[in-house]
Amino acid sequence: MIVIKIGGSEGIDYEAVCGDVAQLVREGQRVVLVHGGSHLTNQVALALGHPPQFVTSPSGYTSRLTDRATLEIFEMVYCGQVNKNIVERLQRRGVNAVGLSGLDGRLWQGSRKAVIKVVENGRTRLIRDNLTGRVEQVNTALLTGLLHNGFVPVLTPPAISYDGEAMNVDGDRAAAATAVALGATELLILSNVPGLLRHFPDESSLIRQLAADEIESVAQSHAQGRMRIKLLGAQEALQGGVRHVILGDARGERPVLRALDGVGTVIG
Amino acid sequence: MNNFECPECGGGVAVGTAVLPGEILECPDCGVELEVISTHPLQLELAPEVAEDWGE
Repeated sequence: MIVIKIGGSEGIDYEAVCGDVAQLVREGQRVVLVHGGSHLTNQVALALGHPPQFVTSPSGYTSRLTDRATLEIFEMVYCGQVNKNIVERLQRRGVNAVGLSGLDGRLWQGSRKAVIKVVENGRTRLIRDNLTGRVEQVNTALLTGLLHNGFVPVLTPPAISYDGEAMNVDGDRAAAATAVALGATELLILSNVPGLLRHFPDESSLIRQLAADEIESVAQSHAQGRMRIKLLGAQEALQGGVRHVILGDARGERPVLRALDGVGTVIG
Repeated sequence: MNNFECPECGGGVAVGTAVLPGEILECPDCGVELEVISTHPLQLELAPEVAEDWGE
């Protein structure tokens, strides 16, 4: 079982990713796809006159500030355009893909963070009514039922709170939770960089191998921005029993197969 | 600058005039975190404990 997270940044080659997934499925591999959609969400939010806002936590993690209007734009893009686009590409290749958000069938359930702490211009403050949270439970019965019947699940945030509210969750960590819940052997986290870079954005400084116990120190010393959350997701996956996490490049040809061959940053 | 009494230890907390609603201040005596509930009138309360979590 392989869980593949495809990022939503600019430059992702969905066509190439779907081509590889189709090949893996033809070879009998069980695959679950998780995707993002951040770049397109930013564009649509701007076009709709509701520009995206990002906040930084005290320990340096950035995330999207999510009010109700932002969440609805997020759903339009993630659950709508991006999810159905991937499903269509897979269906065109003979893969019986099913697109689901974390809301559907309470696929990804967890606690909503009603209050978050952020740092702005060196000042710490609390923001309330933010619609974000973290996946704590995965509906494995739903996923294994789909997989058992030959479907390929294509999953996307938002998730659902225990109170039934939609909430924005980090896709990398949701993918990690899914990989752990399904007992996946590999988690691929593909984005628009070759992997973890020692000197971002110098792509020749790729770190090719990382032990699980090195993640925390490397996250502090080398990872910036969203890469730090990817490493957190990698750590959670490995702690949950996933054998390897590979941070790979989703630009260009054969992105999934290259990552499975160890091209990128192999962790664990 | 306003002086406010820490609800935890009773020590003095100096509060600048440019504080924002929701801003977190630290009591210099006991180190507890205080949230600015309102600026007019100035009102501080013990800040809730917030673990870090992130959306997309």
